Amino acid sequence: MIRLLFISTLSINLISSDEDHHMHQNSHNHDVYVQGEKLEVDQERFKSFLYGLTNSQVAVVNVNGMVCDFCARGIEKTFVKDKAVKRIDIDLERGKVLIAYSKEKEIDFDEIKSKILLNGQNAIDFSILNI
Amino acid sequence: MGIYIKIFFILFLVLNTEARPISYSDGHTLMHFNDNMKESIYYHYSPSFKYSIGVEELNNKIFDRSETNLRFTYLVNRKNTKNSQRNFYFQSAVSTKNSNFIYGVHGDWETRRYFIGFDYKEVKNIIDYTDKHILLGLAPYLGEYGDFHTWLMVKSKKNSINNKQVTYPVVKFFRGNLLLELGYDKKTDWDIHLMFRF
Repeated sequence: MIRLLFISTLSINLISSDEDHHMHQNSHNHDVYVQGEKLEVDQERFKSFLYGLTNSQVAVVNVNGMVCDFCARGIEKTFVKDKAVKRIDIDLERGKVLIAYSKEKEIDFDEIKSKILLNGQNAIDFSILNI
Repeated sequence: MGIYIKIFFILFLVLNTEARPISYSDGHTLMHFNDNMKESIYYHYSPSFKYSIGVEELNNKIFDRSETNLRFTYLVNRKNTKNSQRNFYFQSAVSTKNSNFIYGVHGDWETRRYFIGFDYKEVKNIIDYTDKHILLGLAPYLGEYGDFHTWLMVKSKKNSINNKQVTYPVVKFFRGNLLLELGYDKKTDWDIHLMFRF
């Protein structure tokens, strides 16, 4: 029930289309879709991550090689140095990095890729959600 | 047993591998290690995820003397996939007090559930010897980022001085930037490895 409530809230209030980045998000049943593709995120973790965030944009980045907590530490340390980053979380199970940026930040995937490579992992693709 | 270990090493070398003796870029690591061969404190800095440089102060229990080594580790190859990572490293050390030196290779492959690693060193000291081990691990549960993580492992090691294969259980715990690895065998006593990254 809580999950359903969260998804409903997410789809109605939090997620909007982001024409600037040529992204399109919508909600279908319990899933979040970006550009017609299902966004594989842990809903509970995602809910916690979004809690209290406003006027932000969230980059959901697929990363290869992020197999343990210890080796993902550097990703967090690298991104928190960026003043435009409000919050970051690692989803080890799905191999994703969630990065909440301020609205003014122009998100550049090449920049994200290079920062993740600094830690020795590879960013594969990403999606952006406006909050 | 020996032939299987050799086959295992060869397969690893052919397939490439991966491990973690290097931190992330601009990362610092402090380690304490103690086993039947040595007790050491090792600090290293990683200017990039490709290599680390460090200094190790150690008590060599075989020759009963203290040494200071400058160490260099280089990531020769890494393969990242969605669910796994494998590494192959070159490692080396030179003594600051004499002409002793060490070189070798280190490799590992891991998923969130399984771990396989090996280490092989040629040690040039008062007596030259080789030191090698393999490490197999299983995570009994899959923790998420920030959780307390546990690995149950089996380590098998051998050096050419006593020329005996020793196999024993190891447990590894880590949370955040702190890692503790403990192993015990009746013949070689405790292996203790403590690591902190910052």
